[in-house]
Parts: sequence; structure tokens; C-alpha cells
Amino acid sequence: MNCLQAEENFSAHLEDALDYQSLQRFESHIAECPTCQREYARFSESVKASQQLPQIEPSPYFTSTLKQRLAEEQRGTLSFWQRLLYIFNMPKWALSGVMVLLLITGTTTFLYHNDWFNGEINPSNEQISTSRSGLSSGSPSLNNQFLPRASGSSNLSNTISGQPMQQHYTLKRVSYSTVSTGGGL
Amino acid sequence: MLELDDELMQRFQKGDEDAFNLLARRHQQSLINFIARFTGDKDNAEDLAQETFIRMYKAADRYKPGRAQFKTWMYLIAKRLCINEIRNRGRRDRFRVDNIAINDSASGANDEQVDIIATAPADAAFQPEVAVERKELRNAIQKAIAELPEQYRFPLILRDIQGLSYDEIGKILELRSGTTKSRINRARIMLKDKLKPFMELL
Repeated sequence: MNCLQAEENFSAHLEDALDYQSLQRFESHIAECPTCQREYARFSESVKASQQLPQIEPSPYFTSTLKQRLAEEQRGTLSFWQRLLYIFNMPKWALSGVMVLLLITGTTTFLYHNDWFNGEINPSNEQISTSRSGLSSGSPSLNNQFLPRASGSSNLSNTISGQPMQQHYTLKRVSYSTVSTGGGL
Repeated sequence: MLELDDELMQRFQKGDEDAFNLLARRHQQSLINFIARFTGDKDNAEDLAQETFIRMYKAADRYKPGRAQFKTWMYLIAKRLCINEIRNRGRRDRFRVDNIAINDSASGANDEQVDIIATAPADAAFQPEVAVERKELRNAIQKAIAELPEQYRFPLILRDIQGLSYDEIGKILELRSGTTKSRINRARIMLKDKLKPFMELL
């Protein structure tokens, strides 16, 4: 073994990783070469010194700052389904509150816009309510203006003349007024 | 019993945020040390360590337990960030370590390295002259490491400061076993030569 080969084996010798034959050759070279002996001693000293460098302590704010940055990251990268899952991970009372609110809003909207509720589908309701209110009998001009004519021919003529929408609107207006007046009185 | 990194990652993949926080707490010190020793800048090391954890957090669903170790993956990401940092720094001020070396030779002081050394635990039997010598030696080692070429600095830090196995280092640096061993040996020889003027302090 020459000096260059010995140098190549410095780490392996230091870490006891040389096989028996290599170990014999290395040690016999070191024993008779003062330069390699000195260099190997320096080598092992410098390795030991670098291994003993003190550990750097993280700052006390490292963990809290990291958590904050991760939370920001999470908010920024949530997909639609993750956001949905996040909603269902809410506390039960909060989720129940949201559900009740949605139910009330939904029901109110449905009833407000539902034609059946307004009495359009069942014309008999409309007739009963207008007769009860007295408003229609007391104001014939209003009755004439908003109510459809009783005769079938006139209804037919309205449809033919292309005004079914106007009639539809009229029915709604009457049912609103009669229901509200009846309730109020 | 200490839960394995892989088990914690699996817990995190199932939605347990605390598992990731635990992993970060477990590895934060070694990661900061690795980055600080490589870049020679302790303050920036914390930022880069956080960036590493954030990248791992974002890519957690791609992590396959058993295929790669959490630690290996962490150092792999940190290594890339360090390289980017050095390149960016090179564009800004032509590699800070060079500046450290110039400052050090000119005034005998090195603020960056003193910052790192200042975190060392206090010695029980405090002797001022010994402390100064130790500080000088640590500065010299840090400077010598920082001056090593990138391809030797990484394996040396991972082996002698982080205490990783050759196998782990090979995976992080994407090197074959023989190359890893020879690079570490070469890095140690270069370090020894750089520390020659300080040999009496060793």
C-alpha cells in the first residue's frame, strides 16, 4: 500500500469498516510512514472536532410560526370537498344551527313562490275568498279590472287574442288581496 | 413507546394535523442544524427549515411510507432549498461564505459564525482562555466546512454533524454507495488540510 491508497482508507479505518486484509496493509503502511502517521492523526482529530460542533437550538418562536404558516397554507389549498368536510367537522351545535337556518329559509322561500299556496291551481279557493272579503263587491271597478270574465267565450277570446299571461297575473293579484284582507279583518 | 415517523405520516395522511406537528418538532433541530451548517446563516436556516416543512405538508399525499424514510425525504427537500438559496445568494452578493472568509481574515471576527457558536451550551468549569480557543476552533471548523465545494459539503455535514448512515446519505444525494464513501473521505481530508493552522487547538 502506498501513501495515496492509505489516504483513501482513512475514513474506513476510522469507522472500523476495513476488512482484515486491508486493515493489515493499512496498519503496516502507517507504522512505517511517519507522514501518513501524522496525517492520519490530524485527520481523526479534525473529524472528531467537527462531530463535536454544538447543536443549534431553534428559536422559541419556531414552532408557533410554523403552525401559523401551515394553517395559512391549509386555508389556501383546501379543495371544494375538503372545505365541505371541514364544514361537517364543525361542532354539532353549530352544524345544527346552520341546518335549522337553512331549513327555515328554504321553507319560507318555497312557500312564498309556490303557486299552489297562492291558490292559482284551485280557482274555487280564489272565488270563495273574494266573496268573503267584501272588497270585490264593494268595488266593482276593481273587480272588473282584475278578475277574469265569467263567461267562457270571453276566456276563450282572451286566449285566442294572445293574452293568457295577463289573465294569469290578474288571478294572482286578486288572491293576494283577498287573502291578506280577509286575514287582516 | 416512540411512534415511528412513518406511522405519524400515515396518521397525518388520514387527517391528523397533530401528527405532522409532532414530526416537525421531532426533526426541527437537526434540520435547522443541517441548513445552518450548509448555508452558514442561522437566521435564514429557520426560514428554510419552515419552508421545508411546508413543502412536505403540501406534498404529504405523495409520500409512500416504507418506500422512503421521512428523514431522507426531509433532507432531500432541504438540500434542494439550500442549493437554490446559495444560487440566489450568489446572484445577490457572490456567495456569503466568501464574504465571511474575507471578513474573517481581515478582522478576525465572524458575526455569522459567532451567532451559531453563541447557541452552544455553557461550560460548567468556565475558563475564559479555553472558551476563546474553543470559539476560535469552532469558527475555524464552520468556516472550513462552509468553504468546501457543495458536492463535498453535503455529505460531510450529513455524516459528521447529522450522523446519518452512508445508505441514507446516498439516497439523499442520489449517489452510489462507493461514491458516497469516497466523497465523505475526500471531504474529511479537505477539512483536515483547511484546519492545519488550528491543529494545536484540536
